[in-house]
Amino acid sequence: MFSPLRRMLLVSALLLPAMLMPAQTKTLRIAAAADLQPVLPTLVHNFEKSSGAKVEVSYASSATLATQILNGAPYDLFLAANLAFPQKVVAANLAEESAPVTYAQGSLVLWAHHGLFHHGLTMQSLTSPTVHRIAVANPVHAPYGAAAMAAIQSLGLKPALQPKLVFAENIAQAAQFGQSGNADCALISKTLAITKTMQQAGRFVAVPVSTYSLILQGAVVLRNASDKQPAIDFLRYLQSPAGRNLLATGGLVPPAQ
Amino acid sequence: MDTVALLLTLRLALVTTGILLVLAVPLAYWLAFTGSRAKVLVQAVCALPIVLPPTVLGFYLLVALGPRTAFGRILTHFLGHPLAFSFAGLVVGSVIYSLPFAVQPLTAGFAAVDRSMLDAATTLGSGRWDRMRRVVLPLSRGSLLTASVLSFAHTIGEFGVVLMIGGNLPGATRTLSIALYDQVQDFQYAQANRTALFLLAICLVALMLLYSLRTESRPRSADLV
Repeated sequence: MFSPLRRMLLVSALLLPAMLMPAQTKTLRIAAAADLQPVLPTLVHNFEKSSGAKVEVSYASSATLATQILNGAPYDLFLAANLAFPQKVVAANLAEESAPVTYAQGSLVLWAHHGLFHHGLTMQSLTSPTVHRIAVANPVHAPYGAAAMAAIQSLGLKPALQPKLVFAENIAQAAQFGQSGNADCALISKTLAITKTMQQAGRFVAVPVSTYSLILQGAVVLRNASDKQPAIDFLRYLQSPAGRNLLATGGLVPPAQ
Repeated sequence: MDTVALLLTLRLALVTTGILLVLAVPLAYWLAFTGSRAKVLVQAVCALPIVLPPTVLGFYLLVALGPRTAFGRILTHFLGHPLAFSFAGLVVGSVIYSLPFAVQPLTAGFAAVDRSMLDAATTLGSGRWDRMRRVVLPLSRGSLLTASVLSFAHTIGEFGVVLMIGGNLPGATRTLSIALYDQVQDFQYAQANRTALFLLAICLVALMLLYSLRTESRPRSADLV
């Protein structure tokens, strides 16, 4: 039925995925919070060069990653955007450390489209009738979303702003809602706001730190990691002066001691 | 059980099914009876939503129909608000997403109508609309039901599109599948289980209804009712 040529093509097509798989090198699998998306690739690249390990990163909201890890996802290192989610992993006996390691401190900013406000941009500007939609990360899934709601609440703006809020799956989607024009403003992380795409589409201003609790980003090495050493090394690198400098250029400062 | 999400999901499914029946009947009729060479292309386009990841649809609705494109601005002006984060946006997404589930059973049903019936109707002076209304549709009742039930059930299960353009607004875009996702993320597994079982039950009942009626109304070409 199949000519020899067709048979050969069919067999090679079926074997292609296997042939394309690289030889098994040590792969460090990192589960990273969405707010790290702009800044982690550089750190990963440097680490790959210096250590020879291969690194794969999965970005999602901290809640998504915690849920996956608690249900057996094969990550080696969990870099979250708060301490509560890694704490859950510790409580489930899935972490190497007895408490999350704080690797950075993030900050919340208010981002708005260019041309939306010609005078100063403040949280109060959000009450203006020209603002129709404000994108915020889901406060249950994303620590920056929780911070955003806390800031709105403590400034007494919740009644005025509630009808305008839309909830994104994670902080990156909140930024994307803003950048695509579907939302006029977004409450996002500084890391995302300083990226070229976001700077081209709008401008941002820091949300007063007194209005939300410190965003301390915690990390844990996972007990079920296939090889813990690269994970430990990467975490150490994040906390080294070189790592801290790179994080700082991405808006993530060393945690206030 | 999140009743707001449940009612919203049911409303979305009903509105989508209603719109789809209005759109799909003429389209399926054309597909069933046309000799046009465009038929293959149209059929392929109608079947696209089955194979496309829902996130592709969500992406296009968000970006290509967003306020930054010319077309999006026209749409925003017409609707009064952007497509994203609105029930209207979800309806548009659902209609596209469930289109093949309405068009395909209808096309098959219409094409299965005995041509001699149609020929007889034509010789008796029946025009195209008359033939559709009084011959084809009554004989394709089974397909109409299939199309309705499948579109309804398929829309109940929609997730990817809603996740991309919904904005998770209770009462407007927070459907039951999104509510389930939120419950899982929030480690509320008992609640999530209830929601999941409920969704499963709806889909099972829909399919059972479909299959039970299928065996009853096997098209018999001698019947005119």
